[in-house]
Amino acid sequence: MKCEILYPGAFPMVRVYLDANETVKAESGAMVAASPTIDIESKMEGGFLGALSRKMLSGEKFFFQTLRASRGAGEVLLAPTVPGEIVLLELDGVNEYMVQKDGFLAGAEGVKIESKMQGLTRGLLGGEGFFILKIGGTGQLVLNSFGAIHKIDLKPNEEYIVDNSHLVAWTSTTTYNIDKASSGWIASLTSGEGLVCRFRGPGVVYIQSRNPGSFGSWIRQFIPVSE
Amino acid sequence: MNPIPNALCFGDGLPASGAPCVVAVSVEGLRVSPMGESPVVEHVVAFADMSVEAGGLDHDQLVVSWGEGSSRRTLYLKDPALIAAFRRAAPSQLTAHLERAAEQVRRARRSHRLLWSSAVGVLTGLVLFLWFGSDLIVEWAVARIPIEWEQKLGESVYQDFLSKETILKEGPAVSAVQEMTQRLTEKIPNNPYTFQVSVVQSPVVNAFALPGGYVVVFAGLMNKAESGEEVAGVLSHELNHVLQRHGLERMVKMLGLAAVVGIVLGDQQGVLGLAKQLGMELATLKFGRAQETEADLTGLRLLSDARIAPDGMIRFFERLSEKDDARVELFSTHPMSAARAERLKAELAALPKQTPNPFTFEWKQVQDSLALSGPKQ
Ligand SMILES: [Zn+2]
Repeated sequence: MKCEILYPGAFPMVRVYLDANETVKAESGAMVAASPTIDIESKMEGGFLGALSRKMLSGEKFFFQTLRASRGAGEVLLAPTVPGEIVLLELDGVNEYMVQKDGFLAGAEGVKIESKMQGLTRGLLGGEGFFILKIGGTGQLVLNSFGAIHKIDLKPNEEYIVDNSHLVAWTSTTTYNIDKASSGWIASLTSGEGLVCRFRGPGVVYIQSRNPGSFGSWIRQFIPVSE
Repeated sequence: MNPIPNALCFGDGLPASGAPCVVAVSVEGLRVSPMGESPVVEHVVAFADMSVEAGGLDHDQLVVSWGEGSSRRTLYLKDPALIAAFRRAAPSQLTAHLERAAEQVRRARRSHRLLWSSAVGVLTGLVLFLWFGSDLIVEWAVARIPIEWEQKLGESVYQDFLSKETILKEGPAVSAVQEMTQRLTEKIPNNPYTFQVSVVQSPVVNAFALPGGYVVVFAGLMNKAESGEEVAGVLSHELNHVLQRHGLERMVKMLGLAAVVGIVLGDQQGVLGLAKQLGMELATLKFGRAQETEADLTGLRLLSDARIAPDGMIRFFERLSEKDDARVELFSTHPMSAARAERLKAELAALPKQTPNPFTFEWKQVQDSLALSGPKQ
């Protein structure tokens, strides 16, 4: 598999070249166009039960498709739902990324994806949901963000604080805690602010320059309410 | 064919995401060969020079560090076989560290399992509650709200509301309502509330009570009523919404689980913050049918205890429900029904007969004073 980012910036696409019989895992609905040699396999990662539990636990949204070049080499064009940058990561078998659900766009055949439960407090308060994806294995991994993607490099024991709704992905060598930035965590839970992740290196944290939740509520004020 | 990396190395000059490398355990220590360099440079780190701990997101990685300053290196090992080999070969002075690391891993796993089972437990419990006991959970949570919280909440909404309205400060209408409140509240056993009642100059035919004992009576209601007893009936009903904490129950229901958690944790600011989002809605809260019936019946009993003729309440309700008056806003929060009046009549028949004490004011004068003080309706 070979990936190429087209139109880098706010509205990018990814062109994925597949050799004959090679596959790529893509977020469902991400496929824009493909060569006629490409088939969509509805098979879910991890079999029926895996699919079931994924559907139940990590939400319908994370049902990825497997696209296979079953009738000869070809290419697939993939695009994320939201406007924002795409980043390509190379997995070498040892590095692993924790990715928030909406951050995954595609992964090579050798990329392993599992949904992972967050610590109760982390999940409830972290904004990125109870389940995040733990992505390892080998091959290229394609992530997407809302807005621009920004990489934060952390040395061993170096700390950095990130508003949790801006999180995209981080390496599994990086630990983190959820902190409340203001008093009264229920208030901050509902106001959508005041919850931050304190990361501790070594590793890398990818963040997005826009907050999907805030953007949603900003949009909502322009939508007429009908009863 | 390249060897497969099995560790990540961190340090100055290395990529922040870690440099992949191949690590092997030997008698003297670790043999570390960075990937992508040819010829392969092998570096041996002696056991004596390194420190060891558990690390990574799940504390399941072995973190080996050595060196000082800019040449300090940190190695993250994740492969269980490699970690096992390391533990077998490592000398005793490192064992303590390692065992602590292993214990941390075991603890992480245990808490993981605990997390899963408790999550399943919480989910099951939640479903069960939604099925059978949401009312129970609400009651249980409401019973835990301290009176002071309730007062703080009610007062802020009350002040908010009053700041937008014209309040009658004095006069026959105000003293009449105060007399009614006084007579009703002194008959409430163990009353934890200090009731405050305001008369608002407005044609709206309504009255409401906020959690904590803040009551608003609109002048429109007093104009519509044919006697002080009728207004006292509405007042008694509203006071009982407060006493039974109906507003809080509705509020907790609307705010949901977050409010319950906040109440249990004693997070006053959080709960008040949540409740403020409801804001004015608290004033125009629609109560449930069961709550209305409860406020009706307890209201009727309170009237009887206070020796205020209780049939005034019934008459007022009946009269209002007959009229098809769109401006009677009491209906929007208090749908009237014949069944409701019937139930009150039945309850009244069952109550011991009391000789009512009339109010000291002349109702006609009270109404006239309202017409004088306010704009023509
Ligand atoms: Zn009522």
